[in-house]
Amino acid sequence: MSRKIIIVLMVAICLIGGLVSCKKPEPVASYKIGTAVAQSGKYAGLGLQSLDGMQLIVDEINKTGGINGIPLELVVYDDKSEATEAALGAKKLIEVDKVHALVEGTVTALGMSVVTVANEAKVPTLILSGTALLDDQLGDWVFRPMGSEVDYILHNLNYLSQDLGISKYASLLENSGYGQGGKVFLPQLSPSYNMTIVVEQYFDPGASDLTPQLTNIKNSEAQAIFIWGSSPTASMAVKQAREMGILLPIIATPPQVSPGMVEAFGQYYEMAPSLVALTCKIDIWQQLPEDDPDKAMYREFNQLFTERYDHPPAMWNVLGAQLIMFIEDGLKRAGADPANLEEARGKLRDAFETTKELDLLAAVYTMSPEDHYGGVRNKMVLVTFKDGEMVYLP
Amino acid sequence: MNFSVALQILISGLNLGCIYAALGLGFFVVYSVTRVFNLAQGEFVMLGGMLTASFYTMGIPLIPSILLAVIITALAGAGLYRFIMYPARKSSGVTKVFLTVGFALAIEGIALRVWGWEFRSLPAFFNSPSIQLWEATIFGQTPWVIGVTLLMVIGLFFFFGRTIQGKALRACADEPLGARMMGISIERMALFSFILAAGLGAVVGALITPLTMTSYSVGWPLTIKGVLAAFVGGITRAEGVILGGLVFGMIEAITAGLIPGGYHNAIAPGILILVLLFRRHGLLVTAGRE
Repeated sequence: MSRKIIIVLMVAICLIGGLVSCKKPEPVASYKIGTAVAQSGKYAGLGLQSLDGMQLIVDEINKTGGINGIPLELVVYDDKSEATEAALGAKKLIEVDKVHALVEGTVTALGMSVVTVANEAKVPTLILSGTALLDDQLGDWVFRPMGSEVDYILHNLNYLSQDLGISKYASLLENSGYGQGGKVFLPQLSPSYNMTIVVEQYFDPGASDLTPQLTNIKNSEAQAIFIWGSSPTASMAVKQAREMGILLPIIATPPQVSPGMVEAFGQYYEMAPSLVALTCKIDIWQQLPEDDPDKAMYREFNQLFTERYDHPPAMWNVLGAQLIMFIEDGLKRAGADPANLEEARGKLRDAFETTKELDLLAAVYTMSPEDHYGGVRNKMVLVTFKDGEMVYLP
Repeated sequence: MNFSVALQILISGLNLGCIYAALGLGFFVVYSVTRVFNLAQGEFVMLGGMLTASFYTMGIPLIPSILLAVIITALAGAGLYRFIMYPARKSSGVTKVFLTVGFALAIEGIALRVWGWEFRSLPAFFNSPSIQLWEATIFGQTPWVIGVTLLMVIGLFFFFGRTIQGKALRACADEPLGARMMGISIERMALFSFILAAGLGAVVGALITPLTMTSYSVGWPLTIKGVLAAFVGGITRAEGVILGGLVFGMIEAITAGLIPGGYHNAIAPGILILVLLFRRHGLLVTAGRE
C-alpha cells in the first residue's frame, strides 16, 4: 500500500516538474565558446592556469553586458592531457554543445590534435601552441595567436652575441615536442648572428642525472649553454651544471622560469653568471618603466586576476586570458547572430582572419588569409635573477 | 673519450642503476610471493616522495618525515591488497594486473586533488654537498641513493634467506599448496608482501626526490622503468632485478653521454626487447627454472 503511494507521489512530482520546466522562458541566446583544456594528466598544471585566465575574461565581458549585448558562455571539457581526448572533446563541443568557436588551450601536442576536427566541421578555432614548426598545417579554420620559438631564439641569440660577445655555444635540448623547436631552429638561426653550436646534447623529461651530457659540454669550446625544455628536468639541469662547477652563462626557455621552478631552483639560477631567460611581461610588470605602453595593461590584468584568485597571475593565465580577448575582438567585428550557427561560425572565422594590430597582453597580432599565426610582434622580455627576485633585463 | 667523461658516466650509471634496482625490488617482492605484476609500484614511489616532501616542508625533520611517509604508503599497500587484490584472488593473472593499473590511476587522481599539480622538491639529505672526484662530480644525494639501496638489498637478502618469515614468503611463491599444508597463511603473506613493497617504494621516492623532484604524475613513468629493469635481469630473483637495474642505469648513462642526436631514449627499451627475445626469463634466470 505505502509503496503505491510513493509511486503515485513520484509520478506526480515528475509531472509537475515537467510542467514547470515547460514554463521556463526561452534561454537567452549567447555566444558559446567551447574549450578542451587539460584539467588532469601531465599538462594539468598549464591547463588549469589557462582555464583560470579564460574564465576571468569571460566573466568580465559578461559583467559589462557581453559582446554587442550578447553574453558569452564557456563550455569546458577536460582532455586529460591526451590528444585523443582533446579531439573527442572538440567533436562533442562542436556537435552536441554547438559552440560558435573552439579553444584548445594547453600545449601544442593537444592543440594540434583538434586541427583536423575543426577544419572538417568548419568551426573557427584557436590553439595554444608555441611552435612555428606546425604553422603550415593550420588550415582555413584554425588560428594560433601566439608567439613562437623563433622569437625566443632571436632575443636570446641577440643577447648572447651582442651583450656577451659569445660566438660558440652548446645546446642542451629536451627529447620532447617542445625540444623539437630548439633542435630545428637553433641551427637555422644561429649563423645570422655569426654563432655556431659546438656541441648538441639531449635529455629526457624525467631524467635524474644529466652529468654525462654536461660533462661533454664542459669539455667543449662552448662559451655559453642554451638549455631548452618544458619539464622540471630542464630546470634541474641548471642546478646540476652549477653543482658540477660549470660557470658558463646559461640561457633558458620560459617554462624554466615558471613560479614553481624559480622557487625550487632560484638559488642556482642566481649563481653568477646568473641565468638569463625569456618570459612574459606579467612576471616583472612592476619593474617596467612607467612609459612602457604595456604597463597599465598588465597592472589592470594583475589587479583583476588577484582580486579573484588571491594570487598573482602567471604566464599561462595570461595566455588563456588573451585567447578569449582575441575571440572577443573577432566577435565584436563579426556582428554574427548566435542563433544562426553556421553563418555565425563563418563570420567569426572571417573576422579572425582580418584581425589587425590587435594589441593584447603577450603580443600584437595581425592575421591574414595566408597567415593564421599572426604576424606577431612579441612582448617577451629577458629576465635574470638576483636576491630571490626575477629582475627585468632591459 | 677522455678520462673525465668515462668517470662521470660511471658515476652517473651507478646512481641511475641503484635507482632502477631499488624500483625493481618492489616488483620483485610482490611478484615472488603472489605472481602478480603490481603496476601500481610507481605510485608508491610517488606517494613516498610527495609525503616526505610535504612533511619536510611542514617543518618535520627528515628522518621522521620519511618514516611517516613509509608508514602511510605501507598502509596504502595494505589497502591495495585487502580491498582489491584479496577479493579478486581467484581472478586470472591479467585481471589482477589491470586491477593494479586501476588502483594506480585512482591514486594519481587522488594525489592531484590533494597536492595539486605543482612539483615538489627536497634538498639533498642532510644538505650533503656535492663532491669533486678528479674531474667528475658526485652530487650530494648520490652517496645516499647508493648507500640506502645497498642497505635495502642486504636487508632483503637477509630477510628472505635467514628469517622464518622470509622463508615462508618464498615458500608461498614456490609451492603454494605445500606452504598451505605447512600452516603458512598465503593471504597473510601476500598482504605482507604488498606492505613491504609499498614501504620500499616510499623509501625510493624519498631518495630520488632531491634528484628529480616529484609530482602527482611521476608514478607511471617510474613503474615503466622499474618494470624494464626487473625484466632485463629476471623478475623471479632478487639478484636478477638488481643486475637488471644496474645494467639499465649504465646503458642509460653511456648512451646519454656518447650517442649523439637524442636517440639514447630508444636504446634502453631496444635492449630489453633483445634480452627478452634471446633470454625469455631475463639475464639471470635460465628457462624452466621460473
